[in-house]
Amino acid sequence: MELYEYNLHELVEKLKSKEISPSEIFESCKKRIDDCEENIHAFITRTEDFAKAQLSKELTGIFAGVPTVLKDNLCTKGIRTTAASKILGNWRPPYDATAWKDLRSAGAILMGKVNMDEFAMGNTCGNSAFGPTHNPNDISRVPGGSSGGSAAAVSAGYVSFSLGSDTGGSIRQPASYCGVYGLKPTYGMVSRYGLISYGSSLDQIGPFARTVRDLQLVMSVISNYDPMDSSCFREKAHDFTHNENPSIKGKKIALVKEFQGFTLDAPIADAMNKIKKILEDEGAIITEVSLPVVSRYAVACYYALAMSEAHTNLERYDGVRLGYTVKDAAGIKEMFERVRSYGFGPEVKSRIIAGTCLTEPTRCEEYYVAATKVRTLIAQEFSRAFGETDFILQPVTPSMPPKIGEADEDAMKGYEADLYTLPVNLAGLPGLSFFTGYADKLPVGLQLIGPRWSDPELLHAGVIIERHTGSPKIANGGVK
Amino acid sequence: MKLSSEEVNSIALESRLLLNEAELAGAVRYINNFLDMLDRFKELDLKDVEPFSFAEALECPLRDDTVIAFPDNEAILHESEHVDGSYFKVPRIMEE
Amino acid sequence: MAELTFTPVIGIEIHIRLKSDSKLFCSCSTDTDAAPNTNICPVCMGLPGTLPRLNHKVVEQGILAGLALNCGIRPKSLFFRKSYFYPDLPKGHQVSQCDLPITTSGYIEVHDAEGNLKKIRVHHLHLEEDVGSLHHSASDGRLEGADTSYVDYNRCGTPLAEIVSEPDVASAAEAVEYVMNLRRRVIYSGASDVELEKGMMRFDANVSMKCSDGRWGHKVEVKNMNSFKALERAIEFEIKRQKKLMLNGEDVIQETRHWNDAKGITSSSRVKENYRKFIVEPDLPPLHVTQEWIDRMKAKMPEMPDVKARRYVSEMKIPPEVADVLTDDKNLAAYFEACVAAGANPVRASHWVRTEVLRVMNEKQWKIADFNIKPEVLASLVARVDEGKISTTQGKEVFDYMTANNSGVDEAIKKLGITEGGVAGNALNDVIQTVLKNNPDVLEEIKSGKDTKGKKLKFLQGLVMKETKGQAKPQEVAEAIEKAVRN
Ligand SMILES: [Mg+2]
Ligand SMILES: [Zn+2]
Repeated sequence: MELYEYNLHELVEKLKSKEISPSEIFESCKKRIDDCEENIHAFITRTEDFAKAQLSKELTGIFAGVPTVLKDNLCTKGIRTTAASKILGNWRPPYDATAWKDLRSAGAILMGKVNMDEFAMGNTCGNSAFGPTHNPNDISRVPGGSSGGSAAAVSAGYVSFSLGSDTGGSIRQPASYCGVYGLKPTYGMVSRYGLISYGSSLDQIGPFARTVRDLQLVMSVISNYDPMDSSCFREKAHDFTHNENPSIKGKKIALVKEFQGFTLDAPIADAMNKIKKILEDEGAIITEVSLPVVSRYAVACYYALAMSEAHTNLERYDGVRLGYTVKDAAGIKEMFERVRSYGFGPEVKSRIIAGTCLTEPTRCEEYYVAATKVRTLIAQEFSRAFGETDFILQPVTPSMPPKIGEADEDAMKGYEADLYTLPVNLAGLPGLSFFTGYADKLPVGLQLIGPRWSDPELLHAGVIIERHTGSPKIANGGVK
Repeated sequence: MKLSSEEVNSIALESRLLLNEAELAGAVRYINNFLDMLDRFKELDLKDVEPFSFAEALECPLRDDTVIAFPDNEAILHESEHVDGSYFKVPRIMEE
Repeated sequence: MAELTFTPVIGIEIHIRLKSDSKLFCSCSTDTDAAPNTNICPVCMGLPGTLPRLNHKVVEQGILAGLALNCGIRPKSLFFRKSYFYPDLPKGHQVSQCDLPITTSGYIEVHDAEGNLKKIRVHHLHLEEDVGSLHHSASDGRLEGADTSYVDYNRCGTPLAEIVSEPDVASAAEAVEYVMNLRRRVIYSGASDVELEKGMMRFDANVSMKCSDGRWGHKVEVKNMNSFKALERAIEFEIKRQKKLMLNGEDVIQETRHWNDAKGITSSSRVKENYRKFIVEPDLPPLHVTQEWIDRMKAKMPEMPDVKARRYVSEMKIPPEVADVLTDDKNLAAYFEACVAAGANPVRASHWVRTEVLRVMNEKQWKIADFNIKPEVLASLVARVDEGKISTTQGKEVFDYMTANNSGVDEAIKKLGITEGGVAGNALNDVIQTVLKNNPDVLEEIKSGKDTKGKKLKFLQGLVMKETKGQAKPQEVAEAIEKAVRN
């Protein structure tokens, strides 16, 4: 067994007992990256020099010596951060994202910044100025997005855990496509300070790992109150302690009534039945909740809000203070136009135009304001549902990962595919994307959703499921 | 079609985006399809619904009025190609 | 046909810099005099990934300023993003409470053309961040035709209160009184020092005209006024311009116009003002202000200057113009009130403060805080003059001596050789006897009855006054000399 194959909690133990040293695990991970990266292309920036500098100093904290990677929309002081966009150029942030600061203080070693859809807009990891990432389970397929690089890096064994961000499914969907666990925490559970915004009221940072227990470990480090984020929780600390013997006896787990008529790829439908059975065997009560507004309006509501917020978040990219710029413009307007027209990719431009359009004075009431009201109905619907059930079980996506380049031509169709993930962001809920097994060598994932702040319980449920399904294997990574 | 290509182009310009012909055609298609999708909102009676902008009834935390100078403003300036001396130098503002 | 008359309909928007040590959403210093781009950080520079953090002090200043404008305070307000592209605006949008502000409506009183009190309604006050400052320059240093602009972000993110009036202002004079009164009230509340020369108060005006024939001209927004004078001139210019257009039967175009202070004209602005519905700032949850907090702020509010001036007039019988001067500066008014509290006669004290104290402050470029005669000391000086212990002239000498030498009253009197209580009785008779002895011929003339017009007697009186350094009461001197001459 190679060192890179250790899961996070195993690695933490072995580093702590000095059975393996930080430089040994670093070398092993580096070799694994060297072997696979040509096939997978998960990195935008490799940071082994930075990692070596970290290793040369004394490491303390529970992750002392554990290699990791970050989605490239998380700011790293002095290290290029691109959000997979040309417009950020070679920007080196003068500060660290809080989540990374927490990991760094816990001793984590940064192997690099990984690929994503530009500004997290996409679900294939193909909308990147740095080219697509490949799914380590089948390199002809997409790893999912937008946190495709973070999911692929964990799946391929580059690192035992990584961080991504989830605005409408960007952690859960790639976790499912790549066969790893991914948690989209409750909005406010992890500080967003230093996360390059897409849709600020929807964005949330979360972890990827190959076991649920590993997610618990990461959450215990990054879930802190941060005064730098005004929407961060301020009350009690959350307890992510691993429990060897959690129980869901008597808990209600609901399926969404309105989703039952929708078609799913066979492996996903099969997985639903398998997991239902497992949960029933564990003493949970399978029930049904009705989410009519969610099922019909969530997609439209989500995209209206995400784009309205996104276009204002992207107004700051004008070439004056950082990133890509032009120096020979005749006037300031020309400079802004040239910088933005060249710097943003096509999907980002489409969403900026849509967001600007929806917030125009003549349309604002009809679209943006209406969407904020629909969001109220969606949040109310969920809170009613969680009065009747403890968790909701549902797919992450209706289909298995598509081949690269085969994604939907019709953007709106592609957006509809996010129906299972984005309502969670609209209501600020936690969602766990978990591994259920393989179908024809491709991993199949499902999703468990809980009420706000139920993240610890959600992970306990994940531990129970994992006991039945087994943890995912490290993907082959295209190695012949 | 809710929006003509002229209208879409003027929205793009407002966002400081210049589109070539193909991009504009794509944007027109995209935005009209998108607006069609949003027509669903009209099925709902939203008159008395409160807008939702925050995940829950959060209160804005307030920070103390204490000056903490950022230790490395050079690192900020360093990232701009438009810094001239201690100023940011940009092309003339012609609109005024 | 009757001659057409025009009524100006004017609304005023004011931006006031609120007083705080750190910026609205970050911990950078608000010192805008610092070297360019030194008071900047990732937050106020709008760097990707940064988030705003609201300053408690600024909220308090907003509440105080709102209370000073007779506004109500909203228990729950919100921040919005107001979008436009400009190099001095790092995020490409300004974070502003424009749509759900911290205050409800209020008012400020001014005098109309007939001299009656009139309320100018304040629509609301809201909090927002300022932008950076731009300096334009051409290669040859000229402002006009500049080919580059220089940006300093020190000011970016400093806290502003925007105050929007209803269109209740009917003349340039009312506009000026409105902004002056408003400024004084805000200063009194402690929300801002509103130092005009530092650009802490900027004005925009919406001007339109109503014609007696029923026509309404379009609204014109005039921007870029930085002083009371500029506001007054810009409004006067605009009233004249619009009146002329309407008299010629032409349309007043709805537009934004720029005030050019050097040329004294407004000109059409080429910037297309895109009205944009604002989206909620998703990074700042609603601002909650409890009643308890409002009450605490209310308790902090001092008596407002116009109210105070009216009280001086009615309770202390101080002339209105003096009351106005005394209340212009909160600290000066406090100084005056401390004098009165220490026992000075209010009317006398008000004159001393208005003439002597302000004169010295003016000469020395002092603020009242720098003034080195304590109010109790001035009160005792005023009392001594009042009681006739020293003369008014001597009082002023003592006053000057005290400010020049940082001394107390007694020390000054001693140093100036003044005998408190004056030269009277035997002491005065001694002086008179000496004067008579030294001027036998004059005495002879008087005694012989040649001094029919009393000229010689006056001459002797003058000598005695001089000899007593003015410390004798003229009346007493006159009587005593007469008595001595007759003896
Ligand atoms: Mg304003
Ligand atoms: Zn700052």
